[in-house]
Amino acid sequence: MAVDVDTEARAADGAAVPEEIKGRSLSAIAWGRFRRDKTAMVALGVLIFLLACALFAPLITNLLGLDPYSLNPDAISAENGGVPNGCGLPDSSFFCGLSWQHPFGVEPGTGRDLLARLLYGLRISLFIAFSATTITVLLGTMFGIVSGYLGGRTDAVIGRLMDLILSFPTLLIILALSGVLTQRLEAMGVPEGNPARITYLILVLSVFGWPYLARIVRGQVLSVREREFVEAAIAMGSGTRRILFKEILPNLWAPIMIYATLTLPTYIATEAVLSFLGVGVLPPTPTFGAILADSVSYMNIIPSYLLIPGVLLALVVVTFNLVGDSVRDALDPRAGRV
Amino acid sequence: MGKARPGVRAAVLVAAGALALTACGGSGGSGTSSSAGGAGGTPTKGGKITMLSQAEQWNNVDPQRVYTGEDLAFFSGTIFRTLTAYKFSKDAKEGTSIVPDLATDTGTVADGGKTWSFTLRDGVTFETGAPITCADIKYGVSRTFATDIITNGPQYAVSMLDIPADPAGGSAYKGPYKKTGQDLYDKAVTCSADGKTITFHLSRPVPDFNYTTTLAAFAPVPQAADTGEKYDDKPVSSGPYKISVYKKGKGGQFILVRNDKWSQASDPYRQAYVDSWEVDFGIDPAVIDQRLISGAAADQATIAYGSLQPSSLPIVFNDPKFANRRTNEFDPYVRYFAVNVKKVPNVKIRQAIAVALDREALRTNAGGAYAGDFADGVIKPNIGIDYAPTGMWDGLLGKTIPSTGDPDYAKQLIQESGQPAPTITFDYPNTPTNAKAAAIIASSEAKAGITVKPNPIEAGQYYGVVFDPAKAHELINAGWGPDWPNASTVIPELFTPSGGFNLSQVDDKAFTAASDAAKVELDRAKQAKMWQDLNKQASQQVFTVPTRFGRDQRLPGAKIGNAYLWPAYGSWPYGDMYVTQ
Repeated sequence: MAVDVDTEARAADGAAVPEEIKGRSLSAIAWGRFRRDKTAMVALGVLIFLLACALFAPLITNLLGLDPYSLNPDAISAENGGVPNGCGLPDSSFFCGLSWQHPFGVEPGTGRDLLARLLYGLRISLFIAFSATTITVLLGTMFGIVSGYLGGRTDAVIGRLMDLILSFPTLLIILALSGVLTQRLEAMGVPEGNPARITYLILVLSVFGWPYLARIVRGQVLSVREREFVEAAIAMGSGTRRILFKEILPNLWAPIMIYATLTLPTYIATEAVLSFLGVGVLPPTPTFGAILADSVSYMNIIPSYLLIPGVLLALVVVTFNLVGDSVRDALDPRAGRV
Repeated sequence: MGKARPGVRAAVLVAAGALALTACGGSGGSGTSSSAGGAGGTPTKGGKITMLSQAEQWNNVDPQRVYTGEDLAFFSGTIFRTLTAYKFSKDAKEGTSIVPDLATDTGTVADGGKTWSFTLRDGVTFETGAPITCADIKYGVSRTFATDIITNGPQYAVSMLDIPADPAGGSAYKGPYKKTGQDLYDKAVTCSADGKTITFHLSRPVPDFNYTTTLAAFAPVPQAADTGEKYDDKPVSSGPYKISVYKKGKGGQFILVRNDKWSQASDPYRQAYVDSWEVDFGIDPAVIDQRLISGAAADQATIAYGSLQPSSLPIVFNDPKFANRRTNEFDPYVRYFAVNVKKVPNVKIRQAIAVALDREALRTNAGGAYAGDFADGVIKPNIGIDYAPTGMWDGLLGKTIPSTGDPDYAKQLIQESGQPAPTITFDYPNTPTNAKAAAIIASSEAKAGITVKPNPIEAGQYYGVVFDPAKAHELINAGWGPDWPNASTVIPELFTPSGGFNLSQVDDKAFTAASDAAKVELDRAKQAKMWQDLNKQASQQVFTVPTRFGRDQRLPGAKIGNAYLWPAYGSWPYGDMYVTQ
């Protein structure tokens, strides 16, 4: 790119240089801010690595010669309660159970490889979280815009609906409805077993999640709809749909993006909690929750079995949160960090 | 002791060779055995034993409603006296033999086993000081019939007493609250003029009725104090202790103190060493194990309600400092998968399911050597003469089956059946260990072409779901222990339509007839042979896939004496334990 002479001259003077004077798009400005945020870039790097691991889990496990489902009776000791070889003895080390063959160790009782199970578990968790976030964002944006722009009776109805959903004890409802609704889904033609259960998880997470976003969007719409360009569009006789989606929606991307990046990690954590409580995915499919539920009782004798999945889950959630924070800072620098 | 608790690992457990671990100290020949488990030395009076429980309350305290083994052992050792009782001993034979308790002897039988009489001891009283008479026992037993209020308890009185059935199939006597058919009950259970002798008239010969009378369901209840459903909160004691506190919930407590109206002279069975018992409710099982393992001064006279968690076993059994405290014995339970014959009617298919199963991996998952031995039927060796090897895995199914399963032979059996390889669903209480077991079942059956779908059920609702024929699937996780050492509490319960635990939904006319015949056989040796044959038939027909003869591991506090596993109930011998000072 050609640099104008004036800037070059000032740079030579050693004075502070505004990098670009030229007009840039909003997204380019945001990306520039994001790139200068070191934490964000590190988090993004880790995140991309984890996403790639999840996406290519079958490939990676194949390369390492591991498999999340096959039993390894040789890696565990039937005489010692089925715990991994070398664990649970008076002189066992903190890292007992780890080996070159099974870098993250194996599951007690079955000897299934923990690294392979975590990678596969990460896939399921991310699939559920991404799907649920997408639906949440769609529902939340739609209801938020409609409610904020139309106002009046529509606003009142949607507002009360949101209040109603927000007042439910979500976790209890999810637990209580799981059996009935999963069967309903199966009756409606969703394949029995895991597909129905995963669909149920995605649906309940999004149904109970959208009002939070809808409220934020509604608030934004309330201020945007009074702006001149909207009044101009109305004056020119644009239809409601055009105003909603062509005039108002583009001004809402910042809050929606921010909300999405912050919701995703909470859904990952919620999915783990639900699997922990037994509402999640069926065995033998691995998930974070199921692995953690099994590992807590072994924390005294196989510390790595609890620590590794725990740290990995924390890492996924934290990196998503950090990236989400930085996206917010980049898109909306005035908000600042609290 | 009936059904094994679902979620809680009632029995999970250790190999035959490991028996030697706890076989120190002889088996006590007398009513009270000498040192075992924790502290040694001679028993001393005094002190308090604290029991830590994961549950937030007792299942039931009402004598007619108590049924699980651990609870029967606790309450019959402390507050409920019955006509007969099991001897305190860690020896399998001794510990399941009966001695008189409220009665002067173990009963007089007449009329070919259809009439049983018991004479009460002198000086037996309730905690109120009122003497215990025949009328109190008769009233207590009558409560069993009020099945709408007195729930969860054993139904032996209903099925054995000579009272006709009503058109709906239940008993014509509806219990002491409704009083429908009271005259029928008054004829079936009679009292002598002096109120000292009680006589039970049975509808069929029951050669071992005096074992039935060990159940708390045969404990006396004073009619005036009966509060129906609420009696469950504060029953009247007839034993050496009485209830002083019963607070349910997390942090709740149940405290027993000495009953000053009880006299040792009238009760040679219980030694009542300790001054009081305290049960602490709602404690996390990992915390319970941790407290017993670390053994702080305050926890030395402490025991846990039930067994150690599987994850604690390597710690307890690899550290020599626990060598003279830990126990590792067979419990009364057989672990098995019931095969629903209504849904899998073809015997070859059922055999294929059994043959394909990797029992070795299942046992390792349940705790390896601690989990128990491979089972070959639903009758366990520690029941005594009713057990004989069925050969289920040694040719009974046509071939010797390795413990890791034989998928090729399973495929052959499926081919012989002339049916396609089945798709079955496995019902299990949802716990992490069971989820891993479900994965093992699915992968081993898949090798024979059988598809297994896991169906986790919330542990608290488990038996309610699988007993509903509309909701039960093909393969059902279960465990069962005999109510007394006679397979009459196993085979008919598990495999006949009138049985209380017929998860396999067996309704085979010939099998039921043979089981009925065995029930009334008076020659004990002959009867044992009949049970052995029926057990073999059930194994060959694969009404169940027996997986383990379970074992049980416990760790009492360092100051607890006589802390052995009591074979009668597979529990602590509560009435025999003491605290060393």
